[in-house]
Amino acid sequence: MIVMNKLRLFLFISVVALASCKKDNYDGPDSGLSGKFVDEATNELVQMDIIRGTRIEFVEHGYANPQNQYMILKNDGTYANTLMFANTYTIRISEPNFIPIAEQELVIKGQTTLDFKVTPYIRVKDVNIVKNGNKVVATFKIQQNVINNVQKIGLYAHSDSRVGEPMRLVAAEQQINAVTNPATVYTLEIDLPSNSTQLKPGNDYYFRVGALIGVGGSKPNYAAAVKISI
Amino acid sequence: MKLNHIKYIVLAAGLSFAGCKRVLNLQPTDKLTADAIFGDPQGVKVFMANLYYQLPVEDFTYFRGGFNQNGGDPNNGGFAPAMETDEAAHSEFGDFVGDNDFQWWDQGYKLIRDVNLLIDYIPTLKIRDDEKAALVGESAFIKAFAYFALAKRYGGVPLMKQSQVFDGDPEKLKVPRSTEKQTWDYVMELCDQAIANLSATKNARRATRWTAYALKSRAALHAASVAKFGNRITMTGDAATQKLVGMDAADANGYYQACIAASQAIINGGYSLFKPSPANPTEAAENYRSIFMDPNVATNDEVIMIKGFALRGANLGHNYDIWYTPAQLANGWPHPGRMNPTLDLVDQYESYATPGQASPVNTRVDGNVTDYNGFNSATNYIRFNTPNEIFANKDARLWGTAVLPSTTLKGVPIIIQAGYVKPDGNAVIRTKDQITIGGTTYYTYGAPDVSMYSGFDTYGGNNTRTGFSFKKLVSNAPVINGWNNSTSDWAEFRFAEVLLNMAEAVVESGQGDVAAATKALNDVRKRAGHTTNITLTSENVQRERRVELAFENKRFWDLIRRREFHTEFNNRFLHSLLPLQDLRALPDIKYIFVRVNVPNTNTKTFQPRSYYRFIPGIGSNGLVQNPQY
Repeated sequence: MIVMNKLRLFLFISVVALASCKKDNYDGPDSGLSGKFVDEATNELVQMDIIRGTRIEFVEHGYANPQNQYMILKNDGTYANTLMFANTYTIRISEPNFIPIAEQELVIKGQTTLDFKVTPYIRVKDVNIVKNGNKVVATFKIQQNVINNVQKIGLYAHSDSRVGEPMRLVAAEQQINAVTNPATVYTLEIDLPSNSTQLKPGNDYYFRVGALIGVGGSKPNYAAAVKISI
Repeated sequence: MKLNHIKYIVLAAGLSFAGCKRVLNLQPTDKLTADAIFGDPQGVKVFMANLYYQLPVEDFTYFRGGFNQNGGDPNNGGFAPAMETDEAAHSEFGDFVGDNDFQWWDQGYKLIRDVNLLIDYIPTLKIRDDEKAALVGESAFIKAFAYFALAKRYGGVPLMKQSQVFDGDPEKLKVPRSTEKQTWDYVMELCDQAIANLSATKNARRATRWTAYALKSRAALHAASVAKFGNRITMTGDAATQKLVGMDAADANGYYQACIAASQAIINGGYSLFKPSPANPTEAAENYRSIFMDPNVATNDEVIMIKGFALRGANLGHNYDIWYTPAQLANGWPHPGRMNPTLDLVDQYESYATPGQASPVNTRVDGNVTDYNGFNSATNYIRFNTPNEIFANKDARLWGTAVLPSTTLKGVPIIIQAGYVKPDGNAVIRTKDQITIGGTTYYTYGAPDVSMYSGFDTYGGNNTRTGFSFKKLVSNAPVINGWNNSTSDWAEFRFAEVLLNMAEAVVESGQGDVAAATKALNDVRKRAGHTTNITLTSENVQRERRVELAFENKRFWDLIRRREFHTEFNNRFLHSLLPLQDLRALPDIKYIFVRVNVPNTNTKTFQPRSYYRFIPGIGSNGLVQNPQY
């Protein structure tokens, strides 16, 4: 009897409390945005960082004081967010590694594609990374597409393929702080014995060359990572 | 059955009549009205005590979760603000600066509203005019303190100069952010108001003219640094273009000037360093430490303001002793030893042999202090006779701040050893092991049982992994097992900081009296047992700040205001010093030391957006968010 009463009481409360509820009639996040960043001149993908790299900033319309939302990019310059609400968005890219482009409004409905044609601040070219005795040596040229100084160049190593300036076990960097000549061949090397706790002999590591332009808030440009067994 | 029907009826009635007017019109009997509190000077006193409690003092109870983290559930693993800088590593955690750390938004505006309510009532109070002036000054001081805490976190913030009145339209209550410059100028203005109205009689427990000067000295230095070093980073976005974050370099000198003037006023006002001329470094180390064990010993000279921790067990005690006392002295508390001063900090302390420069701990015959790859049997390490001989000539403040291997705390030698090198040259490091040679047994951790040492064993996360344990802010009394049992008081403003503020303002701005600033710098060093004066340079002042103010929660803001965080922490490892017994030297007892990255940690990187905290609740308050959030 007591159990019955409790149950009845519970049902009663439920009915009263839920009386005003209605299943909401909004669609779920069934849309998405994906695409790639392509170098306008070469049609190659623009290399990115997965952490602390260029991000896509998007603002959903229809709300007062909306918060900015961010998408990170893959190292190879592609991106995808497959769970977004269908709506109109403002898409902008702040603090990138290419010459800034204008923000745009975009209607996202279903899986939408948006590619960006950009000019990277720096093209890292003619990259050659090899293991040479006790060293990993990288040679490369850099071609800058703005007049600012090149701040630094670097050779970065990590056990993960998404290696870069923000994600590295070991770095060999050189401060440049000058306008560079596209014909200059730069050489950077990582000495393996003196980094033996980080780069353990017998393992595979990824090496990637990058260069950072002296524009406030900008992110480094890269060539693709190379896997080397040491 | 009938009873049940009645129950339904009552319940239904309760639910459906909830909106009745009469019920809500009753005056609550568990709340006091403003008139009841402010109508009585005693009520004002009680109200004031509460305002002081809310002050954003970065004390023993300040953690990443914010202020007064001793009520409710104080268990945050002992992760101290110092561990988000290069001062210390946690014995277990590897965390770094997170977006939610050190937020103080809602609480800040709550305090400001409370002060504004008091300010509204001051003219109506039936008290003497001098008492009114004191209240005006005290209110301005509290408000200045609050806006300083907001400005250094968020940049420019909404300035609530008067209390707001709600007339049913919430839109009218929304105040946009002022620029960062306007915000700092308001802090300066409030400090001046406090200085003009407060008494010149020293009192470490309530705001005085001197406390207000000390606040101004600290705040002006922060503002000046943000202006001067702002160009070390680039902020983009609306907040930056509207100048809600960042200031022009041209604004720096005005704030430096304000810092110099405020500091000079305190110097002229009869404050001095506690025991300024020690006979020797040993005495200097004890003098230094005694200020922090009980700041009340120095309220006549050095300590300008104290926040008291009076009641054990309640919200008025703190947890530094249980968290940070070395493992051997845990007294039954299960999680001691969490503050591990880094080798990076230890390196900063000068040697008396080489005044005026950092003295990195040299472990090797070849003098290499940058190899962190670990023990190598082929390397020629310097052999020492004791586990702390290597620090022999180091600044007294190191000895007063950190527990060095085999030094004594509360009468107990604190054993910190990372391993040994066997006679065959193979090392056993950070592994529990023992070896018997010639009838004597040697232990990797320096003693046979986990209760007998304080270093490197990962047991319970209770042992240091940097080679140093913590001394400066822990008491000499036995640890009491339980929450909030420490009642040592916190020195919020010290004369030593004021001297270093002035030295920095003079050297960074080129304004003011260089001779006086040089004397200020060297007075602080002299109290630490130094006998050679050094010149006033930016580098000397910063090193002095790091060692003098270590663990007083200043380093985090120094890195922020000077915009050094992102360059100091770019994929950075913090470092440890491994003391090893070298059994190759038997029968002689010898120790060697190895510089390594802190074991089981990853690199730390500071993101430039973290120079400002994000502003909570943008969706409803409509404020411009800080960059990159």
